[in-house]
Formats: sequence, structure tokens, C-alpha cells
Amino acid sequence: MWKDIGDREMGKIRPNSFSSRIKSNRISNLQLSNNKDIVSPHRGSINSLQVDLTEGRYLLSGASDASAAVFDIQRATNYEGDGLIAKHKCLFSVDKQHQKGHKYAISSAIWYPVDTGLFVTGSYDHHIKVWDTNTTQVVMNFKMPGKVYRTAMSTLATSHMLIAAGTEDVQVRLCDISSGAFAHTLSGHRDGVMTVEWSTSSEWVLITGGCDGAIRFWDIRRAGCFLVLDQSQSQLGQRPPVLARSAANKVSVSKSLSAGQNLLVKSRVPQKKYANGHGMKQSTIARMPSKGSARQRLHPGMLSIQDRATAHYGAVTGLKVTDDGMYLLSAGSDSRIKLWDLESGYNTLVNFGKVRLQASKAIQLAVSQDSAQVFVPCMAVVKAFDVWSGKMSLTFRGHYESVNCCWFSSQDQELYTGGNDRQILVWSPSKTITDDTNGRQAKDEDSWSD
Amino acid sequence: MCLHSVIVPMQLIKLNLQPDTKGSYVEVLERFVNLGPIVDFCVVDLERQGQGQVVTCSGAYKDGSLRVVRNGIGINEQASVELQGIKGMWSLRSSTDDPFDTFLVVSFISETRILAMNLEDELEETEIEGFNSQVQTLFCHDAVYNQLVQVTSSSVRLVSSISRELRNEWHAPSGYSVNVATANATQVLLATGGGHLVYLEIGDGTLTEVKHAQLEYEISCLDINPIGENSNYSHLAAVGMWTDISVRIFSLPELNLITKEQLGGEIIPRSVLLCSFEGTSYLLCALGDGHLLNFQVNMSNGELTDRKKVSLGTQPITLRTFSSKNTTHVFASSDRPTVIYSSNKKLLYSNVNLKEVGHMCPFNSAAFPDSLAIAKEGELTIGTIDDIQKLHIRTIPLGEHARRICHQEQSRTFAICCLKNQSSADESEMHFIRLLDDQTLECISTYPLDTFEYGCSILSCSFSDDTNVYYCVGTAYVLPEENEPTKGRILVFIVEDGKLQLIAEKETKGAVYSLNAFNGKLLAAINQKIQLYKWMLREDGSREIQTECGHHGHILALYVKTRGDFIVVGDLMKSISLLIYKHEEGAIEERARDYNANWMSAVEILDDDTYLGAENNFNLFTVRKNSEGATDEERGRLEVIGEYHLGEFVNRFRHGSLVMRLPDSEVGQIQTVIFGTVNGAIGVIASLPHDQYVFLEKLQSNLRKVIKGVGGLSHEQWRSFNNEKRTAEAKNFLDGDLIESFLDLSRGKMEEVSKGMGVSVEELSKRVEELTRLH
Repeated sequence: MWKDIGDREMGKIRPNSFSSRIKSNRISNLQLSNNKDIVSPHRGSINSLQVDLTEGRYLLSGASDASAAVFDIQRATNYEGDGLIAKHKCLFSVDKQHQKGHKYAISSAIWYPVDTGLFVTGSYDHHIKVWDTNTTQVVMNFKMPGKVYRTAMSTLATSHMLIAAGTEDVQVRLCDISSGAFAHTLSGHRDGVMTVEWSTSSEWVLITGGCDGAIRFWDIRRAGCFLVLDQSQSQLGQRPPVLARSAANKVSVSKSLSAGQNLLVKSRVPQKKYANGHGMKQSTIARMPSKGSARQRLHPGMLSIQDRATAHYGAVTGLKVTDDGMYLLSAGSDSRIKLWDLESGYNTLVNFGKVRLQASKAIQLAVSQDSAQVFVPCMAVVKAFDVWSGKMSLTFRGHYESVNCCWFSSQDQELYTGGNDRQILVWSPSKTITDDTNGRQAKDEDSWSD
Repeated sequence: MCLHSVIVPMQLIKLNLQPDTKGSYVEVLERFVNLGPIVDFCVVDLERQGQGQVVTCSGAYKDGSLRVVRNGIGINEQASVELQGIKGMWSLRSSTDDPFDTFLVVSFISETRILAMNLEDELEETEIEGFNSQVQTLFCHDAVYNQLVQVTSSSVRLVSSISRELRNEWHAPSGYSVNVATANATQVLLATGGGHLVYLEIGDGTLTEVKHAQLEYEISCLDINPIGENSNYSHLAAVGMWTDISVRIFSLPELNLITKEQLGGEIIPRSVLLCSFEGTSYLLCALGDGHLLNFQVNMSNGELTDRKKVSLGTQPITLRTFSSKNTTHVFASSDRPTVIYSSNKKLLYSNVNLKEVGHMCPFNSAAFPDSLAIAKEGELTIGTIDDIQKLHIRTIPLGEHARRICHQEQSRTFAICCLKNQSSADESEMHFIRLLDDQTLECISTYPLDTFEYGCSILSCSFSDDTNVYYCVGTAYVLPEENEPTKGRILVFIVEDGKLQLIAEKETKGAVYSLNAFNGKLLAAINQKIQLYKWMLREDGSREIQTECGHHGHILALYVKTRGDFIVVGDLMKSISLLIYKHEEGAIEERARDYNANWMSAVEILDDDTYLGAENNFNLFTVRKNSEGATDEERGRLEVIGEYHLGEFVNRFRHGSLVMRLPDSEVGQIQTVIFGTVNGAIGVIASLPHDQYVFLEKLQSNLRKVIKGVGGLSHEQWRSFNNEKRTAEAKNFLDGDLIESFLDLSRGKMEEVSKGMGVSVEELSKRVEELTRLH
């Protein structure tokens, strides 16, 4: 860092490479923070964490004791240990005592992406509630057909305000905040839906992962899903390697592409060949109602409903789209992490090694801002993997019990994790030892970890 | 609220289709000095004239140098003599053909003294017998046939320059005295009380009254400087009038009125001058309140066109022509002396680095060629003038890389942190603290730092209970195996007999990125910590630095500025935060913070409540302290009030100005901050009063419609604040370069803008000219 600052001053490195260099350097130095402490008010396992997207300042947590809390992660409520340890108590929390609060565990708590005036909680009590942050009152309540596993709102959306909800039910529901009603139900999964995630490149594309092991892509403007990921279709590497495929395959690929073309990011990387030449199953992949008259009669959405391809053996428990919208990371109860190329819909076969993942619950993954690292809760630890090589780079040990969720704040390069031990831990770049000029007593942050 | 202008160094090249003799397709048309990268700079007033100069640390490694950047035109003093009460000065030649001036006529309220160069090249008092030296001289000039003309209130005397005897005399009619007069080699024009205008012509020993005219008002000033083909004879006379506040053009010798131009307002013209620049004839007319009007003169019919008004100072102006490098310029003497010159058919005004000049005349003597005689503040100075241009840059090569600089007024020295690369293969660098004399910029003392020790901040300050002024240096030990320095030092030096003496030192637990004087103490930014040190007297009389208190909570506190009890910190990546020192508790607390994720590159305090920052994506922004906020949350937030895309990476802000400040002028009240960038640009950010901002903002938006960017790029878009997360239109910042380009517009475009603004072109030009005076 020292040298980079001098080089930036002299114009030897460009300011943007300066900042990305420092960021990745800081990410590689993440460790349990010795100066930031979040005082968890929750008396149940933490199921969901999110820092708001507008200011990067407020952390929202949802826990199994039916409580949700908001923390200011930029401004400490008080300091301990000679001003060195910043304690962040919650600004407010809502729990069962609240007259309109949830009755059972909150499985998902998310911010309204546009500002911090609203947040949304989904609970096992079959309800999704929309809260006004300033008054901490419920402003909207959606009754769902079963336990709510996960809710999501699109960060890109400018023309809709939909909450996508994955529940026990096979149908994914879209709850419209502007009208207070269900806008759509998306049918296709054969079991409950553990995880939902909006695309980061199109405001219309929703990705859902079900207990049936399927990952489905939906264009909410159309009926049915347009893509089902199949773990047996794979390509090596980040991008399809150089081409030697039959013309027929090309056609079908281009068709499947055209289906998603206004949905998925169109890569500018030229199409290269597939090394191991997996054939595409002509009929299974989504297809635009093209000029082909015979196919015209079949509803395209109905086609993929028949598609029983699976992405994981067992349930899909976590989904995360990279920031550029080109790749999808998925975690399953089969203890696998998979990286999918969204352009082709293929499994990239990146080997993330042997991990053990929680099978019974949805887990929340996080990626660093340049999508170089993915943070995965692996039982009681969190592991960071290099997205492209699958190599594990860091292990975060601190929680006593299983970790359910993590959130990476790209503004501060900090990782927040929450687990069954009811703690929210902050992992920050290690501070150099210069702090103790006053000869303060060494403090032992790790006393309760491990 | 703010305004900026950048001076970008560059090389103008031309790509040729055919290679030249050396096989190169590139031809350098013009070279400009490059100041980049400006790693640090300081603003100093070396001549103590109230005129700032910027001294930059430029270049890198062995090409490192200090650059002294000065605005305006300097006078290099050659000789000076104390003389009070000078009312006028003229230089005269001893014969018509002599290329050099011999005599300097200096007029006082009740006498006239004549100075001349003697054989030892000294200026000594002499006499011209034919001159009346008992009275004030109104005007003097060389005349044809080896004659000299002296005009006094009672007569015009024609004197031989060889025998120095009176050859002829014209007496003013009894009851009238001459008030103002002017002359050239063959003509004399004078005005007596009652509005009488008398025109004389000079012959060989003769003075002929050719014409007499009576005007309705008193005459305030005259000029018959020949600007036509004949350099000895003018066909036009310019006359400034009392009462109706006008300037009139008369034809000579008929004294017929050709043009009359009302000046408007109530201030009389005090000096008029006909002159010609680059083949265009101008009439300059200076008013009693420091304004200057200029017109273009049509030589054939005497018409005045293209009226423009600028404000030069606040006192009456006297105009005189002089030449330098064979080009004619005009010197406007006033409380803010200015040289008027022309470039690309545009009149430019460059200030002269002198405080107040009463009178000036060119004095081109053999001993002092191309010099000017200047009467200022009770002294007469003879000096040469710099090249007529706006910026003067002097390079002082160091042969090593200077990284930090600071000036100490008391010892008249600069101290720099610099590093020298060993020429041998091993890469070890040597770091030094060097002391330079601020006049010669020669190194007079050196303190070598330890191996691996880097100088990273320097400050000149004094401490409470101690009258001495010290240099404080912050360093870091950069060990090859360490990623981040974990050790540094603060060194305190005193300058004694031109030597750096180490008085005290204190070890720190990290790199000292910044040092500031703070309430008689020393405030250091050490990695992520802000640390306050006090200056203690030990029992044995020696001094030491003691830790007082500190503040944590930054990623890296890179840039720190202080004002009163407030500390403004620019963090590596967490924008600006405001800390306050609590005297009672002896503690530093955070008061407010900007919660945006700006990666800072420089900060500065504009006033008590407003702070300026520059960030990694070439943007500038200002934040304001919100002391009146209703909630803690509001008070704890620095509100972003201005945003602007500069397009340059700013390394340093410093308060100061490159121009002379007049305390009583409107422009003098405007605070300016100078910045230096990696690319070598120096710019000025001025805090404008609100009404002026509103006016100029409107002008800027009108100019955007008229001036189209290269390639049709939108100015608005370019100046929009832009980082990875968002793009926002510039607010509360104006682009001074764009606004000043108004003066380069054609008349038609100016009128288009003027129509859009509903303000006259003349008024607009004046407001914009005023703005150009800020830098």
C-alpha cells in the first residue's frame, strides 16, 4: 500500500489500478476484525444479512427468533478498549413483541434497493412483510402459501417493484409492492424453492433454485421459464474453448441465445469451440418461437416445464450471480459449488474442492466486487474460493455453529457473517500493528472464537 | 461556488506526410515546460510584495527539479534612489539621432530636476539651462532638429539639446494657465483653463500657434501619440473632458471634432492614449476609479468601435507606452500596475509585480538598456522588465527526486525531502532532508536519513511556550520485507547559521503521512491514526515531543488539514471526516463524516464549514459541516454540496494566489486555493460570492450553447462528477476556462451570449475580465 501511494502520487500507476490493487490486497488480508464488533440482539440463528446498496451503511439482519435488526456499520454506537474497538449496537430491532411482527423465524431480510426507507422480511410464518424503516411499522403484508425461504428484489429494476419469493410451495410468487398484490406465479419447480436471485444484467430475469435440484431462469414478461441449468452440460474454463462443433449445435446454441438475448448479457467474447463437444439436447433448451411452424404450436414456457434437468443432486441451497451478470454460482445440498456460464448455460466444471455445506437450510453466498472471490458458508466456517480456479484462498474460523449467511461490503472490503450461534461477525482487512502507541493492553478478540 | 482554470504544459506537434532529413514524421512546433508530476508544492511570497509564487517538486528521480512558477511581469531592479513626491517623469535624448536616452526629467510640485547618466554610469543631477526648473513640468518631449520641449503651467519652452539653451518660448495668455499638455516630435497640444485647446507646431527654433479652439468644458487629459505612418506627426488628437465625461477625437491641425464618445458614469477620464498593437490602432482611456476603456480607432475617419471596459485597479491610472524586444506595450501606472499588450489581435492585461506605481517612463540609456524608470512609494527605480507574458517558470535542477517541500519565512529557507538513486546496480535509495536558501535555491545544509528511511512529510512550525521556529519531518522505515511501514520517526530541526540542527526526535509506529501545526502542538497522521504531540521542556532544558492523545478509525489517514480546533482528514478510501480536539478532555473526537466511498488524493479547508476534496477518479467535491442539523445523525454527516469532474489527479491543495491581491478591491476578497496535479497542471479554485456564482453559472450555461467542444463532446457531460458507482451533473462548481473563453469569441457570438443573458457585451466582458484577474 505504501509503495502504491507513492507511485500514484508520481503518476506511475493509474488511480483505478491503484484502487483495485489495494482492494484485492485488502480482501486477501481479511480476518476477524479486531476493531469492529456487532452486538447481536438476536436470540436465534442469523439467517440473513444485507448491507444497504445505496450508502453501504446499514446492515439488516434477520434471525430465527422472528427478529430483524438494523445496524449502522459506519458509525459506532460506542467504543471500548481505549477507543480501539468500535461497538455497533442495533439502531432498532423488530421481533415477536411488535404487534405486527412475524411469529416464526425470519428466513430472509432484504433492503428495498432504491433507498433505505423500506425493508422486506420473509418468514416461516408464511408471511412477507414490508417495513417502513423510519417508523418500524409494517406497511404491507403478503400471505404466502407456505414457509418463506428466500425473498429477493432486483437491484436494477426501474420499471417494477417486485419481491420474488421462494417458499415451501412449488410456485415462485412475485409480490408487487406498488399494488400490494401478487403479480405473477411462476410454475415449474417440482418442490419448494429454497433460493431466488435476480439477474444483475437484466431487470426482468429471475433465477430460482429449488429443492428439486433445478435452477430455473425466468423472464417475468413471458410465461414459463426459458432456461433450466443442467449439470451434465459442461464446458471447461471460463469461456467456451475454441470451436470444433457441428453446425447443428451452433444453430441450437444461437437459438437458445436468442431466447435469452434481451435477458442475459451478451458476451463480447467471440464464441469459441467447446473442447469436449457436449451435444445440446435440441428439444430441452428453451427456444424462441421462431419461424419454425411446427414448434410454434408448443408454448415455449411449457417446453421447459417438461425439462427435468437438475443442477445439483438434492436441493439448491444458494445462488449468487456475479456482479457482471455473466456467471452464476450455485451451492447445493450435495455439498457442491458450481460455476455456471450464463451465456451458454453450461456448467464450467470449476472444481471447488471438497467442502461440506449445510443441507437443510438455504445459505447466502457472497462475491467480492470484482467477482474474484466467492465466500461460502461451510458449516461452522466460511471459505473464500477463487471463482475461476476454485482454489480455496481463505478460511474464516470464528463461528461456533453453522454459518447461514454472508455479505461482502465492497465499499469497505468487509465480510459480515451470521450463523446459528446468533453472532454476527465482521471480517476486515487486518490493521497493521501501529495502533498501540499508547501502550494499551493487548486485547484478545479471539477469546470466544474457535 | 468555485471556479477553476488549468495551465496545461504541452508540446505542439505536427505530423508530416513526408519524413524530414532525420527521417522523423513528427515536427515539434512549440514546446511548453512540463511541470509534471507535481508531487508537492508550496506558495511563497519571496519578494514580500503580496504576490505569491508557486514552488513545485516536479519531475522524477534524477530529473527531479524545483520549479518556481510566477504570474505576472517582474521588474528587475537595477538602481534606485529615494525621491518623494514625483509628479511626472520623462526621458530625453541629447540629440535627435541618439539611440539612447540621456536625461531623465523628474517633476515635483514646485520644481523640476534633471538627472543624467555621467561617465561612471551613475545617475546624477544635472541642469538644462533652457528649462525652467523652478516650477512643475507638465510635459517634456524630444523634438526634431535636436530640440527639447518643456511645457509648464505658464509656457512652452523649446530648448536646444546640444547647447541646452532656450531657443523659443510660447507664453500662455495672461490669466490662463496650462493645465494639461502633450507633445510629440513636431507637435504640441495643450489645454488651458476655460476649455481652451491650443495646438502648436515645432519648427527649427520656432513654435507656431497653429490653431486654437474653445470647448464647452474643461479638459482633463490629452494625447497626440503618432500612430499613423508618420512617426513624428499625428493627424488625430484624443481629448478627455470634464463635466460631460466624454472622450473626443479631433483632427490635426484643423482641430475639428471628429468623434465624441460618452463614457457613461461619473468618473472623469484621467489619461488617454492613442497606440497601435499588431497593426491595429486603439484608443485607451483610463478613468479615475481604475477602470480602463479601450476602443478600436479607424485611422481614416477617426471612428471609435468595439468599446470594452476592464477594471485594472482602484486608483487613477496613467498610461504610457514603452517598448521591449522591439514591440510596443502600454504601461498602466496605478495601485495595480499593469502591462497591456496584444496577442493574436486581442488585448491582454498582465499585472506587474510591483505594489503601487505613480509614474513610469521608458529610460533606454547606454548603461541601462531597455529599462524603465518607475516612481513608486517615495523612490525612483530603474529596472528592466521581464518578457511580456503571463507565467514565468524557473527550473532549478536537483539531480534527485524531491518529494516534499516547505518554506520557512523566518530563516528564509526551503526544506525538501528528497531521494537519490544510487547509480550503482543495487537499488538502494538514499533519502535526505535538504535546506535550501530561498533566494538562490542552493543547498546549504543536508541531513541524511537512515537506510530504508523515507521522508514523507515536512512542516515549518512553532510550538507554544517557545519562540523558535522549527522544521518537523515525518519519516517511515520502508523495510524490503514489510508490506506496510510499521516504524517511522518525527524529527524536529532548527535552522542555525544556515545549518539543520536536530533538536528532538520521536519514534512512531508507522509512516508519518502528514504533519500539521495544531494549537501550538504537532498533529501527525500515522497510518490509520491521528496523533497529537506536545512540545515539552525537560528538566535539563532540552526539548522533547510527548504523546498527548490520538484518534483511530481510519483506513489510512493520508491527508490532514487543520483550522482552529478542527481537523479534516482525507482517508485513503473513506472520503473526508471532521475531527475536533476537546481541550478540557484532551481528546480528539469525530464530529462528522462524509459517508461516500471516495478514495481521496488531497483535502483542503475552504472556510470554517466547507471542505474541499479531490478523489481518485479525477473529481473534486466540497462538503459542508451541518452544525444546525436537527438530529445527531444530521450533525454527524458532512453534506456534499459541490461536485465537479476535473479530469486531473490532484496531489496537493494549498491556500494562496498567484496574483497580487488588493485588499480593497472586490476581487481581492475572493479566497483562492491552488492545486497541483500529476500531469503537471497548476490550477486555481476560487470561492465566489453567491450572486457572482449565479451570474456566472448563467453565463456558463449560455456559453455551452455557443461554444461547441472538439468532436461535439458535451461540456456538461465532461464536467459531471463520475466514479464507479455513479455519475452526477456538476454542481456548485464552474469551469473558469470555459467562462474566460468568452473573451475569445467573435463579436457575433458574444452578442448571441449577451442576448441570452440579457446583459450587454461590454458588461459581460468586464465581469469576465475581472475573473481573469484571479489567476
